[in-house]
Amino acid sequence: MKILIIEDEIELLIAISNFLTKENFICELAENYRKADEKLSIYEYDVVLLDITLPDGNGLLLLQTIKKQQKRAGVIIISAKNSLDDKISGLDLGADDYLTKPFHLSELNSRIKALLRRKKFDGSDIIAFNEMSINTESKTVSIKGKELALTKKEYELLLFFLINKNRVLTKEAIAEHLWEDNIDVADSFDFIYTHLNNIRRKIKQAGGTDYIKTIYGMGYKFSQ
Amino acid sequence: MKFLTRINRNYLILFALIMAGVTVTGYLILHVIIMREAKETLLTKEYLIEKQIRDTGEIPNLHPIIAVEKTDDNELIKPSFREVVIRNELENENEIFLEYSNKIKINDSYYLIKLRQSAFENEDLVLILALTLFTLLASAFIISFFVTKRMNKTVWADFEHNLHEIESFSLSKNNNITLLESDTEEFSRLNKVIGNLTEKLKSDYLIQKEFTENASHEIQTPLSIALLNLEEILQQDLKEETFQKAATVISALKRLSALNQSLILLSKIENKQFEADRSVSLKAIVTRKLDEFSVLLETKALEVKVQIEQDFQIRLNEQLAELLINNLLSNAINHNIRGGKIVILMYNRSLRICNTGEDNSLTNETIFNRFVSGNPKSYGLGLAIVRKICETHDLEINYYKDEMHCFVLKYKS
Repeated sequence: MKILIIEDEIELLIAISNFLTKENFICELAENYRKADEKLSIYEYDVVLLDITLPDGNGLLLLQTIKKQQKRAGVIIISAKNSLDDKISGLDLGADDYLTKPFHLSELNSRIKALLRRKKFDGSDIIAFNEMSINTESKTVSIKGKELALTKKEYELLLFFLINKNRVLTKEAIAEHLWEDNIDVADSFDFIYTHLNNIRRKIKQAGGTDYIKTIYGMGYKFSQ
Repeated sequence: MKFLTRINRNYLILFALIMAGVTVTGYLILHVIIMREAKETLLTKEYLIEKQIRDTGEIPNLHPIIAVEKTDDNELIKPSFREVVIRNELENENEIFLEYSNKIKINDSYYLIKLRQSAFENEDLVLILALTLFTLLASAFIISFFVTKRMNKTVWADFEHNLHEIESFSLSKNNNITLLESDTEEFSRLNKVIGNLTEKLKSDYLIQKEFTENASHEIQTPLSIALLNLEEILQQDLKEETFQKAATVISALKRLSALNQSLILLSKIENKQFEADRSVSLKAIVTRKLDEFSVLLETKALEVKVQIEQDFQIRLNEQLAELLINNLLSNAINHNIRGGKIVILMYNRSLRICNTGEDNSLTNETIFNRFVSGNPKSYGLGLAIVRKICETHDLEINYYKDEMHCFVLKYKS
């Protein structure tokens, strides 16, 4: 999968591309409008990450170019502006998703994978890990062929873990993924704990292995 | 009351007062004038009678208006006027007469003269004159009333139109005010002032809007860089102590970012950047939020009692309505005790959310202030945002404490 990252902050550009390279994406970088425009006219991409505030041009204009020249590509806008106007006009112009800075790399990963699934680039609706398999079309999880009775949030949480397997996830990242802006609930970390306990119990009852490990009481990791 | 209605009403009251005053005064003045004329007529008659007696020796008599008799009584009396009642034999009824009596000396003889004039005729004349005066004045007033009313309508039409324009003006919609040019100096001055003011408002609004957005951008970007790098550090094989330190820094930075977002949000609400385009159903939002928070409620073993008598529909931007309910419910959950209660009561024009919780010293005056919090884990901005939303949308939020902590949301009375 080929990704074009358009972002004017070099440090962010590097951090994002390092992460996505580790996730086996092929990354191309553009730190301004001119470069991005040039790349978009030459190469084809599956996903474009687009920062709409660029020093030498409006990112929303680039979005129009992408929609014209790269019909295949999915676009995720990354913006520091948590401005509704930008969000709406971005989505109206054909962006597939909108991510507000600061975001977690695990969240970015999850959004990209969701976009690829929606665009059917992966070809399969099934994400499997050992005896566990998640069907993203029917939004169900099964262990050794037996379906788990999960709530919507539990399903979302487990999918988030599986997409970001082998990666330490902070409680903040999890809470934000589950509740987005409503994270003002101060006790939300206790609620993650409740959710995780429920998931672990259900997996064990179905005869599966608990792959979710607690890291020093401050983070979680889904791994072998 | 409308300006023109007010003017018309005042005009009518003034008209009634003036009419009453003019008619009464007119009547009195006419009365005096006519009485004086009547007396003068009687005195002229006296002179004529005296002349006739002197010249011809004939004593005229015409009952009841002229009565002259020769008298031996030579004592002179003072000429006087008085009112007398005399029977009119023709019509067989009593009539009031103005009587003038005098005794005069002609050629050494004394004559007692009594001259009378019907007072009734005088009064009639006064009344007719007063009525004519009244009618003329009234017609003049009524004609001028309708003419002015018509004129006012045309003169004020442009003003009405402009007022309508100003009413429909909204900063966040970014529309322009187009005012009609007016020939009236005061109106064109007013238009000019309004034009200048709206231009100023618009530029201030844009500057403020841009500032909040730029501030947000400038602060969130370095925060993003710090957070992304710290998260990558967490992925390495770290000792517990290092891991915990890095995780704590992440928490602190996230908190800083959330604070920044909340403060920007507050200023955006204050700046009225959220368009209230239609009514939203609070019932729907409360139901949805409770579903969203179900796990949180379950974790704290909270019992929720919801009683919805009628849907409370409010005119508020949907995002803000969500935020309002989200913050009120978060507050009721955050400051609750394990195994506590939340009671929600909704009527068509009010919403009350009560929760059990620890006692605190906060009052209706202090609880909505920024950074005031009864709980060290909370930022103390949630309720400040709630109040700001209410303040900018004709809503009222109040807090009171009895057995529970209660928040009441309703329209400003």
